[in-house]
Amino acid sequence: MVLNRFIHIIKKEWTLEFREKYGFLSSLLYLIAVCFVIFKVFGKLEGPTRMGLFWLIFLFTAINIVSASFNVQTIRRKLYYYQLYDPVELLIAKIAFNYLKLFLAGCLLVALMILFGGESLKGPGLFLQSFAIVAFGICILLCVVSAISSFSDKQASLVSILSLPMMIPLLLLGMRLSLISERFFSDSATGTYVLMLIGIDLLLMSLAVLFIPLIWKS
Amino acid sequence: MNIIKTNWWKIASVILMLYVLVAGFKIPLQPGIIEVTGTRAVAGSEFATGIRTYNSRLLSADNIKVWLWLPDDKLIIADSLELVNDTYLNASFNPLPADIPVETSRGIMASIMIENDQEGHYFFRNAVNIKAPEQIDSLVNSYSYAGLDEINTVTKLAFPFQHILYETSRNTYFHVAIWMAMFALLILSCYHSIIYLRSKDINADYKASSVTTIAIVFGIAGLLTGSMWAKYTWGAYWTDDIKLNMTAVALLIYMAYWVLRASVSDPDVRARLSSVYNLFAFASLMVLVMVIPRLTDSLHPGNGGNPAFSSYDMDNTMRMVFYPAIIAYFLIGLWMAQLSYRIKKLSYQD
Repeated sequence: MVLNRFIHIIKKEWTLEFREKYGFLSSLLYLIAVCFVIFKVFGKLEGPTRMGLFWLIFLFTAINIVSASFNVQTIRRKLYYYQLYDPVELLIAKIAFNYLKLFLAGCLLVALMILFGGESLKGPGLFLQSFAIVAFGICILLCVVSAISSFSDKQASLVSILSLPMMIPLLLLGMRLSLISERFFSDSATGTYVLMLIGIDLLLMSLAVLFIPLIWKS
Repeated sequence: MNIIKTNWWKIASVILMLYVLVAGFKIPLQPGIIEVTGTRAVAGSEFATGIRTYNSRLLSADNIKVWLWLPDDKLIIADSLELVNDTYLNASFNPLPADIPVETSRGIMASIMIENDQEGHYFFRNAVNIKAPEQIDSLVNSYSYAGLDEINTVTKLAFPFQHILYETSRNTYFHVAIWMAMFALLILSCYHSIIYLRSKDINADYKASSVTTIAIVFGIAGLLTGSMWAKYTWGAYWTDDIKLNMTAVALLIYMAYWVLRASVSDPDVRARLSSVYNLFAFASLMVLVMVIPRLTDSLHPGNGGNPAFSSYDMDNTMRMVFYPAIIAYFLIGLWMAQLSYRIKKLSYQD
């Protein structure tokens, strides 16, 4: 029953997304353009710079993609949601849907990096693993923050102000793991980092589920 | 009488603060050794060294002795001393005993200890490297070593001497105590946020936001005092140290709280959103505090083998000032928050 409702919300999101294609597609276009500019400026990229740029581009693309998730709605649509859905279900469905988008964008980014940089990943398994977990944390944070800032008049700037400082631990850990995967340096604590990331994700998820009903009702 | 009954904690905070200021600045540091010029010695041959001390009064001290303290707690007394001034003396051992147990080719590390009647003893750990002689004399004279129990100790009201830190170790009562008070205030603000979310009492939100504001002020004060300390100890106001950057991030998170409050005009919506954000911010602050120390070593005292005030180093004299300092800052923070809360309540009343 619950699963049915999830699928329903995700289907509806999908329809909306398909109707307003420009949102996601413009984010992807932004990503491709930034990639192109950066690789034209720097030429060949290696090690820490490549990973640093990857996370930066991904971060700003993520803000672009997810910040719209609660914000684009008009008052009427908000009321419609409010009547129809349980806030927790809505949040989880939104997180799942946005995560899908983020993951696609991230894969595109990796592909572009390999294409322009001319060098494939040295440890794709660990890299993908860390990317998947960090992207999930970023997705949860951005969804909650966009829900919070959807009540304010200055939505777009508020999302980045509120979420950027909170993402730093996630990004630091992700950066460390991706550098390990690139054999830039070796660290025996890889498993601990992954576990810490999963722990942070779980903490953020439980906080989000706990607080979204409080944010949502007005 | 009523004023005293309800405001005793304000009086207590002022008294404690005065006590911390006076005691923290006026209690002297114990004497210690800054530098030992001779660092290499060979067992059985002569050894002379200059010793630079800190905060000592060697010229007016009686019965000064300089000891070489071997790793197995045996002591060798210096044969002749020459006092240059209150903080410098030359000591020579002619010669060192030949039967110092030096097993390895790298030699052993011995400490230098100064002892006198007025100041007790103080030492410099692992100052001198003693190596075995090239050819061992067949006539080994057996030397009678002194033991640690012959050293006199004088207890005075003084803070422990810390190498490198010296007088800047007093910053413990300001910088560190302000951080502790800040954390206590942040926990208090989380408590008020939870109270708001449960009761929807707008006063709880005013309380939470006032306390958070004061905590941010404390955070900035902690950053400034730390920065001044860093200038004297590390040589720069801002370094790439991970704890500094972590603090900057924490402040950013809480300044975003201000931005959030300023950007929502409806008081009830503002209260709800900022309470939720406050709890989120505190959770991510905790994550930050837990994650970052595992990633890199910090330059901070107590991290990565730097000298600090662990349970071993921080003696009771320091605790006597440090704990009251935390309470004093916390109470003063409460007082400030209370004033700020009253202003908020009055200005939003209509």
